[in-house]
Amino acid sequence: VKLLLLGMNHRSAPLDLRERLAVDDPGPLVQKLVACEDIDEAVLLSTCNRVEVVALTRHPDAARLRLRSFFRRELGGDSQLERGLDEALYEYRDAEAMRHVMRVASALDSMVVGEPQILGQTKEAYRAAVECGACGPILDRLFQRAFATAKRVRTDTRIAEGSLSVARVAVSLAHQIFEDVSGKRVLLIGAGEMAELALGALREAGVASLAVANRSAERAAQLAVAYGATAHGLDELPRLLAESDVVLTSIGGERPILQIDTLEPALRARRGRPIFVIDIGVPRNADPAIDRLDDVYRYDIDALAAVASGNAEERRREQARAEAIVAEEQQRFEGWFAALRAVPTIRDLRGRVEAIRARELERALSRLATDESTREAVDAFSRALVNKILHAPLSRLRREAEREEGMAYLEVARLLFGLDDAEPDADAAAPPDSPDSDPEAR
Amino acid sequence: MVFALHTLTGALYLVACLASGAGLALGNARATRFAVAALALGALFHGITFSLLHTATAPPPLTDPTWAASLMAWIGTLAYLALLRRTKVSGLVVLVAPMAFLGVFLASLRIPADPALTPIDNSSVPHAHVVLASAGFALLGLAGLAGALFLAEHRRLKRRQALLGAGLPSLESLDRAGAVALAVGFPLWTLGVVTGAMWVHAAHGAATTGSAHEIGALLAWCVYLLLVLQRFAAHQGARRCAISALAGFALLSVWVVGVEMLA
Repeated sequence: VKLLLLGMNHRSAPLDLRERLAVDDPGPLVQKLVACEDIDEAVLLSTCNRVEVVALTRHPDAARLRLRSFFRRELGGDSQLERGLDEALYEYRDAEAMRHVMRVASALDSMVVGEPQILGQTKEAYRAAVECGACGPILDRLFQRAFATAKRVRTDTRIAEGSLSVARVAVSLAHQIFEDVSGKRVLLIGAGEMAELALGALREAGVASLAVANRSAERAAQLAVAYGATAHGLDELPRLLAESDVVLTSIGGERPILQIDTLEPALRARRGRPIFVIDIGVPRNADPAIDRLDDVYRYDIDALAAVASGNAEERRREQARAEAIVAEEQQRFEGWFAALRAVPTIRDLRGRVEAIRARELERALSRLATDESTREAVDAFSRALVNKILHAPLSRLRREAEREEGMAYLEVARLLFGLDDAEPDADAAAPPDSPDSDPEAR
Repeated sequence: MVFALHTLTGALYLVACLASGAGLALGNARATRFAVAALALGALFHGITFSLLHTATAPPPLTDPTWAASLMAWIGTLAYLALLRRTKVSGLVVLVAPMAFLGVFLASLRIPADPALTPIDNSSVPHAHVVLASAGFALLGLAGLAGALFLAEHRRLKRRQALLGAGLPSLESLDRAGAVALAVGFPLWTLGVVTGAMWVHAAHGAATTGSAHEIGALLAWCVYLLLVLQRFAAHQGARRCAISALAGFALLSVWVVGVEMLA
């Protein structure tokens, strides 16, 4: 089996391509993927900065084509975006794919190195794949290893210390626009997780006046209770915009909810007081054309992260240490993954020996007048004997399989034990010096 | 003594320039605070310089443009330090310090080691004119500087090239500082124009002689009246106010100071 990873991130693809591929619920999509015979296991990670599929396959070339057509299909036939897709997609196999998954979970591949959100997002993607049965034992092991790696990176390095998450950058930018953020009114449109984090960060900065507007009144009310805000419907948006200094948006929808037409009346009512628009939605909720308005400062997710990365030099130094941890964990997982090559041989060998043991045990017991306890003792004896004899060679096979050269050991084992031959019949299987092969012994 | 104090003032303003530049370049708020402290100390010595100049001899020849430049630098610095109590504009020191240094430097170019301080007039009107006009000019200059920094910051924020941790003032602070400087500077400038007219009337029997200085000052006053109305009555946007403040100060400098210097 091979590991294959196809995806795009903030470095390889522009926001407009990523936002078209963004997925809210990856469950049904990974279910579709594993329904194909080329893909055995799959996990789909979709955040505002990346869309990636990790797949386990026995047919890597076919799976690669399948995944590429999956991405293309998601673009819904937009030929302009499709042209950019091939350049935007990156592809990793086996060791590289393992390393990439671990780097992503450890926030080493994030726009803001060391940011805390990505681990939670990766766990969500894994959970969604597990729940819909798309994550099998191998990807399960890979992701568990990736989570453990991320934990090590966060505890053993200072990469997350003082990390400027996107939410915190939003607060810092608000301080560059407003003299005193605490006296400002913040409006949250939608209820995305990142926007909620930014809302929390603004709350920490002392913002007292918060309003939440959402399509779902219930969700708006939930957030309003959690953050001590007032809940509103989207129909109140014009009035709320006129009253708000900071507007956080993270809402779904085909068209941007904040456009020039929406903001101009609000700005007139505000008599030139600025509005800071933090657009964390993917697809974007604020039309880039609003940049033409003097008193509107719009930062989308890419812009926020770009600002944050300018302050990340110190964490980049810690990155080298974190990369070493990832390399170590990757090597460990790679060994385990490579050892999987020995599984068919070990399983066949065990099966073959077990068949012989069972058969010979049956024969021996049929010739002995034994009670139940003796039968059990002989059975246990035969099992222990087989296990003890097989223990050393099987361990050796597992160890050797972790190395590329170890394949030779597996081939020799298959040859010596005739594992690729048809199952010999009982008599043929009996060794020449066994009682079965000696007519006089009967 | 006066010359030595004036030189020391210039040196402190220069230190403030360098520290504020370092604070901006390195994003070091402590360097910015140090720059403000150096500027405040410079303003103290600057004040002592003027006190000595005023008390040791007769009133100084403030109508000399170079002395007026030094006076403007001092008043501008004091106004900035006063603004710091109301607004968070410590980062504006990056522009105020060089302007203060420039004012002192210009004055130093023509100050003799032992200046012959002779009163220009027995009346207090000329001195009132110079002090009021210089104070108005300094505050309108401060509004212009706040406008310049606002525009630079606005441009960076619009281009998403924000510098976190550089200790630069917020746009709102700069806008407020500009508004306060304009609100105080314009009446002072108005009084400066009025006392100027009184001086000319006393000297020539008419409110104006039609000189380039007088026409320039009057035109600048008209332009500023328009800016004040736009800002406080028409509630113009912050960016346009910043452009107006900067353009207004540029015009004022060219019409009044430029003409005077060339003359």
